[in-house]
Amino acid sequence: MDQFLQALINGVMLGGFYAVMVLGFSVIWGVMGVINLAHGELVMLGAYITWVLNKQFGWEPFAALVVVMPVMFVLGYILQRVLINRVVERPHLISLLVTFGLGIMLSNSVKLIYTADPRQTKTALSGFWRVGQITFPVTKTYILLAALIIMLLLYLFLQYTRTGKSIRAAAQNREAARIVGIEIHQVYAITFAICTALTGAAGMLISPTQAIFPFMGPPLTLKAFAITAMSGLGSIPGALMGGIVLGLVEVFIATYIPGIGTNLGIVSSFVLLVVVLVTRPQGLFGGLQPATEVR
Amino acid sequence: MKHKFPRLLTLLVILMLFLAACGGGQGGEEPTAPPQEEPTQAPAEEETGGGEEAAAPEFDGVIRLGAAVSETGKYAREGKDTRQGYNLWLDWVNNEYGGIRVGDKRYKVEIVYYDDEGDPDTAANLVEKLITEDEVDFLLGPYSSGLTIATSAIAEKYGVIMVEGNGASESIFERGFQNIFGVLTPAGNYTQSALKALADKGAKTVVVAYEDTAFPTSVAEGAIKWAEEYGMEVLAVETYPKDVADVSAIMTKFRDLNPDVFVGGGHFNDALLFVSAAQELGFTPKAMVITVGPSNPQFVEEVGDAANYIIGPTQWEASMTWQGKYLGTPAEYAARYEAMWNEPPTYQAAESTATALALQAAIENAGTLEMDAVREALRNLDLMTFYGPIRFDETGKNVAKPMGAIQIQDGEILVVAPEEAAVADLLYPMPAWEDR
Amino acid sequence: MKGLKQIWRQYRLNRWFLFLLLVGLFALPLPQFVAPERKLVTNSLLFSFTQMFMLITLASNWNLTGGFTGYVDFGHAVFFGLGAYGTGILMNKLGWPFWPAMVVGGMISAVFAVLIGSATLRLKGPYFSISMLGTFVAMREIVRVSKPLTGGGEGLTLPPYLNRPLFYYITLILAILVVTLIWWIRRTEFGATLIAIREDEIGAEMRGINTTLNKITAFWIAAFLSGLVGGLWAYQNTFIDPDVVFFESRTVELVMMTMLGGLGTVAGPVIGAAVIYWLRDVVWASFFQYHLLVEGALLIIIVLFVPEGIMGALGDDSSTSLGRIMRRWFRESPKEGVA
Repeated sequence: MDQFLQALINGVMLGGFYAVMVLGFSVIWGVMGVINLAHGELVMLGAYITWVLNKQFGWEPFAALVVVMPVMFVLGYILQRVLINRVVERPHLISLLVTFGLGIMLSNSVKLIYTADPRQTKTALSGFWRVGQITFPVTKTYILLAALIIMLLLYLFLQYTRTGKSIRAAAQNREAARIVGIEIHQVYAITFAICTALTGAAGMLISPTQAIFPFMGPPLTLKAFAITAMSGLGSIPGALMGGIVLGLVEVFIATYIPGIGTNLGIVSSFVLLVVVLVTRPQGLFGGLQPATEVR
Repeated sequence: MKHKFPRLLTLLVILMLFLAACGGGQGGEEPTAPPQEEPTQAPAEEETGGGEEAAAPEFDGVIRLGAAVSETGKYAREGKDTRQGYNLWLDWVNNEYGGIRVGDKRYKVEIVYYDDEGDPDTAANLVEKLITEDEVDFLLGPYSSGLTIATSAIAEKYGVIMVEGNGASESIFERGFQNIFGVLTPAGNYTQSALKALADKGAKTVVVAYEDTAFPTSVAEGAIKWAEEYGMEVLAVETYPKDVADVSAIMTKFRDLNPDVFVGGGHFNDALLFVSAAQELGFTPKAMVITVGPSNPQFVEEVGDAANYIIGPTQWEASMTWQGKYLGTPAEYAARYEAMWNEPPTYQAAESTATALALQAAIENAGTLEMDAVREALRNLDLMTFYGPIRFDETGKNVAKPMGAIQIQDGEILVVAPEEAAVADLLYPMPAWEDR
Repeated sequence: MKGLKQIWRQYRLNRWFLFLLLVGLFALPLPQFVAPERKLVTNSLLFSFTQMFMLITLASNWNLTGGFTGYVDFGHAVFFGLGAYGTGILMNKLGWPFWPAMVVGGMISAVFAVLIGSATLRLKGPYFSISMLGTFVAMREIVRVSKPLTGGGEGLTLPPYLNRPLFYYITLILAILVVTLIWWIRRTEFGATLIAIREDEIGAEMRGINTTLNKITAFWIAAFLSGLVGGLWAYQNTFIDPDVVFFESRTVELVMMTMLGGLGTVAGPVIGAAVIYWLRDVVWASFFQYHLLVEGALLIIIVLFVPEGIMGALGDDSSTSLGRIMRRWFRESPKEGVA
C-alpha cells in the first residue's frame, strides 16, 4: 500500500511537469498547425537561463521565472517573425524540417557556449516531508504547484482577454478571423511568443530535478507530441490529464515490473501513442479544432 | 516559372558559400584552434613544441604510430585528453628519453593522427587508412569502448597491434583477437576495490541500478560478481535506458528494501539524478557507489554538499602513490602534464600516456620492431607505471591493476581504496540526509 | 514494353552519361586487384563509396513512401535496424552464413512493416510521421530489454570479414538494382497509384483503388530493401548495439538528402545522398565543432528556399516529365485559397 501511494505521488508529480511542458507545444500546434520539433530545445534554453542566474548570481531557480519568461517571450516573437511565419501556411513536412533544423542549431549553439557537461540548479526548497512511510519531495511539490498556477493563468488568459479570444478565433477559422479584422500574423506571433515563454518556464521547472545538457531536448519533444496527440490540440485540461496519465503509466510500470521496469516505462508512452492515434485520431479529450489539418 | 531562377540562384549561392568556407576554412580557423586540434599528420617536433629540438639526440630510425582519436563529435572532449596524453609521452620519449631503444639503436617516434568524429564507420575507415596508406608500425587506441570495438576488428584483420587505454568494455576482449591490448582496468573490476572496502567495514546487502548500454552493463555485472565474492547479498538489480529523466521509481523500490550499499550509474547525468532522487525520497543507504561522476571535480560543483560521502571508482588519481619506472609518480606526472597543457590531467589523459608507455616497454623488451616479437613481449610484459601495474592476460586485458575508489569528503575527492594507494579512511556509514 | 522503349528514347543523351558513369564506378576498384602496391585506389576510398551507396539505397527506399506516396516516415531507420539485428542475431547466435542471414533480416523488416504499416498507414500527415518516430524509439528500447536474444545494451559482435572491394560491389549493385526498381515502379500502374494517393487519397479511393493495400505494398518493399542495407552495414561494421543501429539522425539525413535532391523523383535521392555525403566530409573537415550548427542551418535553407530540390531547380520542362510533376506538386501543395 505504501509503495502504491508513493508511486501515485511520484506519478502525479512527474505528470504535472509533463503537463506544463506540453502546453506550449500543444497550443502552437492547435492554433498555427505547426509541429514545433524545436520544443525540447526551448525547454533546454529556459533551463540554461535558470542555471546561469542560479550559478552566476545565486538566484533561487523559482525566482528566475521573472527573467526566463520575458526573455523567452521576446525570443519566441523574433523566431516567429523571422522563421516560423514563412512556414505556417506550407505543408507539414516543411515546418517539421525547419523546426528540426532550428532545434539542431539551438542545441549546438548552447553546446559551444556552455559545453556538453551536464548541469543542475540548486534550490533552497529541497528535501522531503515524511508522512508515515511516504515522502513528499519538496521541490517537486512546488513544481507541481507552479505548473498548476501557470496552467490556470493560461486558461484564464485564453478565455477572458481580448488577445486570448483572438487567438482562439484564429485557431478555429483563420479566414473568418481575418474577415472580422484580426491581424492574423500578429496573433500568431503573440501566440508563439507566449508559448515559448511557457516552454521556458517548463525549462526552469525541470532544472532543479534533472540534469541539464544541450541535447536533452529530443526526448521531451517526443513526449510532448505523444501527450498532445493523446489529449487533443491546444486543450489545457487535456494536457493536464494526458500529462498525468503518462506520468502515472510510466511510474507504475517502472515500480511494479522488476528489473527492466524503467525501460518499459519509456516504451509505454510510445506504445500508448500509437494505440491512441490508431484508435482515436482526434485525441482523448477533444480540444481546439485547427483549420489547417490538410496534410 | 517565375520562381525558378531565384531558387536556382539560391542553390548556387549556398554551394559557393560552402566552397568558400572550405577553401577559407583552413586559413581562418587555424589561429583559434589549439595546435593539437588540427587534422594533423605533422611530425613530432611540430606537435609538441620545436624549442627542444636542439637538445634531441641523433636517431637511427623512425617508428610511426597511428591513432584515430575524436576531435569533433560526442567524444570531442575526451578525445582531446587522449591526444594530450599521447603527445605528452611523445614529447618525453623523443626529447628527454632519447627515443625508443630497439637493441642498441634509438628510434624517433611519430604519431599520425586522424579525427574519427566519434563515428564507428569513420573510425574503422581511418584505421584502415593508417595501416594501408600511412603504413604505421603500431596503433594506439581511440577514445571509447564502441570505437575500440569497431577499430580493433580492422587491426585484427591486418594483424597490426593496437594498444588502447580508453575502452573498458569487456566485449572488446571477448572476441579472441590477438592484437588488442588494453592497459586500463576492465569494466568488470570497476567496483571491486570499493566493494571490498565496504565489505571490510561490515556492509551486508547491495542493490544495483545501471544504464543498459555496453559499459555500465559490464560494470554492473562485475559489481554483482564481486559483491557475492565478498559475502554480500544482492537484493535487487534494475536497469534503465540512456537519457533517462526520472529514476524515482527505482529509488522508491530500493528504499523499501533498505540496503546497505547502493551501486549505480552509467553517465554523469544519471549520477546527478540518483543523488537528487535519493535526497528527495529520503533514501539513505549506508554507502552510495556511483560509477561515473564522483571522481570528476565537476560533480561536487553541480551537486554541492549532497555529494559528500559518495563513493566512486577511479582508474587513476594524481594523489595515488604508484612509483612508475618512467615518468615517476602520479604527482610528478600531473606536474609535467600541467606544465605542458595548462590544465590538470584527467584519468583519460593518464591512461593514454600509460598506453604508449606499455607499447614502448614492449618494443624495448622485444629488441625489434617485428610484429610477432612485440606481440609476444606485450604478452609477457610486467611493467610498473605512474598509472599502476600493467600485465596482460591472454585476451589482452590488464589484470594487474586494481581499480581505485574515491570518496568525497568535505567537497574533496580523496582516494580511499585500494590500501596501497589510499590517502584517507573510508567514512561508513553515511549519515541520513536530514541529519546533515 | 512499348512504353519503356519510348521513355528510354527520351533519355538518349542521359543514357550515355549514365552508361559511362556506371562503367567508371565498376572499374574503380580494379587497380586494387591489378596493382595493389601502387595505391591508386585505396581501401578507404572504396569504403567511402560503399557508405555513399548505402545512403543512396536508403534514401531511395525512403523516397518510395515519403516522396511517391506522400507518407513522410520519420522512423524509417527502424527497418534498417531490424535488418541489422536480424542479420546479427542469425550470424552470432545461430552461426548462419551472411547471405541467407541478410535476406532473412530483410524479410523480418518487411514483415514488421506489414504489421506496423497496417496500423500506422491509416494515419494522416504528421500523425503518421510521429507514430513512426514513436515506433522507432520503442523498438530501440525493446531491442535493449530483449537481452537473451539481442545482447541488450552490450550489443552483438559479428565475425569480422572486411573485404572492402567486395562490399563496394555488393552495395553498388544493390544501389543500382534499387534505383532501377524504383525507376520502373514509377512507370507502372502501381507507381501511378502511389502518386494518385499522394495527390488525392480520397479521390483515388472513390475510383476504386485499394489505397491501403498499395500503401502497405510500397511500405514493405522499402522496408525489405532497407533491411538488406542494415544487414550489410552490420556485417561490415562487425558490431551492433541499439544506439549505433537505431540512430535518430540516420532517418533525418535520409529526409534531408531526398529533399535536397528532389522529393518524389527517381534521381533526387541519388543526387541528394551523393551531394550531402561528400559535402558533409568537407563540412566536418573545415568547421570542426561547428559542423552540426552548419548542418542545421543548411537544412533550414534548403527547406525554405529550394523545397523542390536540385532536380526541381535544374529540371527543365522539355527534358523530363518528373520536373513537371514535382513542380506542380510543390506549387499546389501550399494550401490553395488560403493565401
